[in-house]
Amino acid sequence: MSNPISVKVGSVELKSPIILASGTCNFGHELSEYYDLSILGGLSSKGLTIKPRVGNPGVRVAETAAGMLNSVGLQNPGVDYFIEHDLDYMDSLGCARIINVAGHSFDDYMAMIDKLAPHKDKIDALEINLSCPNVKAGCMSIGSDPEQIKLIVSSMRKKTDLPLWIKLTPNVTDIKTMALAAQEGGADAVVLINTLLGMAVNIKTRRPVLNNNTGGYSGPAVKPVAIRMVSECYQVLDIPIIGCGGISNYEDVLEFMIAGASAVEIGTASLVHPTCPVDITADLKDWCEKSGESLSSLTGTLQLW
Amino acid sequence: MRKEYRCNVVSKCMLNTDTAFIEIKCPEIASAAHPGQFVNISCSRFLKRPFGIASVDKDSGTFKVGVKVVGKGTSEIAAFEAGQEVDVLGPLGNGFVIEAGKKYILVAGGTGVFPVNFAHEVMASEGIEHVVVEGFRCKDQIVLGDPSYILTTDAGDAGIHGNCCDGLDTLSEDQVKDSVVMCVGPLPMMKAVGNWAASHGLKAYVSMEQRMACGIGICLVCVCKIKAERAGEEFDHKRCCKDGPVFPFEEVIW
Repeated sequence: MSNPISVKVGSVELKSPIILASGTCNFGHELSEYYDLSILGGLSSKGLTIKPRVGNPGVRVAETAAGMLNSVGLQNPGVDYFIEHDLDYMDSLGCARIINVAGHSFDDYMAMIDKLAPHKDKIDALEINLSCPNVKAGCMSIGSDPEQIKLIVSSMRKKTDLPLWIKLTPNVTDIKTMALAAQEGGADAVVLINTLLGMAVNIKTRRPVLNNNTGGYSGPAVKPVAIRMVSECYQVLDIPIIGCGGISNYEDVLEFMIAGASAVEIGTASLVHPTCPVDITADLKDWCEKSGESLSSLTGTLQLW
Repeated sequence: MRKEYRCNVVSKCMLNTDTAFIEIKCPEIASAAHPGQFVNISCSRFLKRPFGIASVDKDSGTFKVGVKVVGKGTSEIAAFEAGQEVDVLGPLGNGFVIEAGKKYILVAGGTGVFPVNFAHEVMASEGIEHVVVEGFRCKDQIVLGDPSYILTTDAGDAGIHGNCCDGLDTLSEDQVKDSVVMCVGPLPMMKAVGNWAASHGLKAYVSMEQRMACGIGICLVCVCKIKAERAGEEFDHKRCCKDGPVFPFEEVIW
């Protein structure tokens, strides 16, 4: 076996199934102080918008028993600044360059594709964020309507050959409908899942802890929800799935892949242990060596009762 | 490369009923730390907790932090005893810039006394001229006091009756002239001290605080409002953990 942990997401070859999740690694500068990011399969940039966003005011984090709520609100320097200052850096990291694209409207998403398409030599995939719960328009409101998902994905499809990975929200009645809409629109993959919408209350002030009132819930607590959604979608989709939600060790990665993921994203775990992807990578290699299996052969091997 | 260190608590004492002083062995952090920087320390809760570095002993490879109990995480950490294993990230943040040949006025309130203690330690050992002014609610709250400090209490049961600015007003013209002010404490206090410095024509630096998660600049939750560098924008949200915690007073939007 050459590299037993290499995987493919459609046409995108990854040397490892591990991708750093958008919003938990910025553009890679900070974590590269802790480890060589070239060990990763990829890095998904902070969610970018046409104009810079300062994000939400006040308290943006609330700790929970096995995770946290955040209400950052897509703070980012804007796509122009990113292209000028950070894209080359991401290109230099030696892992797949995934650019996370967010917006407030149909037109925003189209304008983002127009901005990024000329730089396709430095981009391996566009991750389309139809799922951020912390902004007032766009994102999650688009990602919870199958007609809008299909329209936006098919319109982007006409504009670019770059792989389109659609990051979906779990805050819907039926995730399969949303994933199928993305597939029908021409998506190359879906990313499951973004954060769950949650709230925490300060019992002394009787006000929400977060100044945004609600926030996105992430961490080990959400993993079973994500696994269930990956499994459900794997049964109906023809396109690959990137699993995301509460992964903090190699067994979590195996679980996601068995349930149907071709690759995975690690998010909140990096906030707790910045070098956890290093340990997970080593453990995955070790598991492959001991089991004699390659990771890519695991995808979707789940046998339901 | 930076690391997350697995360390041991080597000593602990209580400074008052709800404040512990904890010494942790980590030669890498002890040798790299600057005053104003902080560490993130693990407990059984999901996220680590940030603490300003209060003292460093490079010879023994240890550093100390002050832990005031404010919730479940700090309550657990304050109860740690020698031998306790902890995961630590640090030193984190930018810290204060201390330059030879300059003189300083260090001002602390609340848990700000801990980073100010470290700054005092470094300045004293390097022979850098400085005065320390610390404000407390009352006598019982005074921790890490030094006979050379100017202390104030709101209750008036120790030191000067009043707040930090009343303490600053007792400085002589010579002490004030050409000094740089460094302040760590609650936001209203830092604002008042910054305004005091501005009214005396002094440059001031403040150490900002916000609810924090990663401590290393990747999650963007611990931001504060800083005057924007870009034309046309009112402010930027800068990360307390990575861009700060120390910011020039005049750049902070209060």
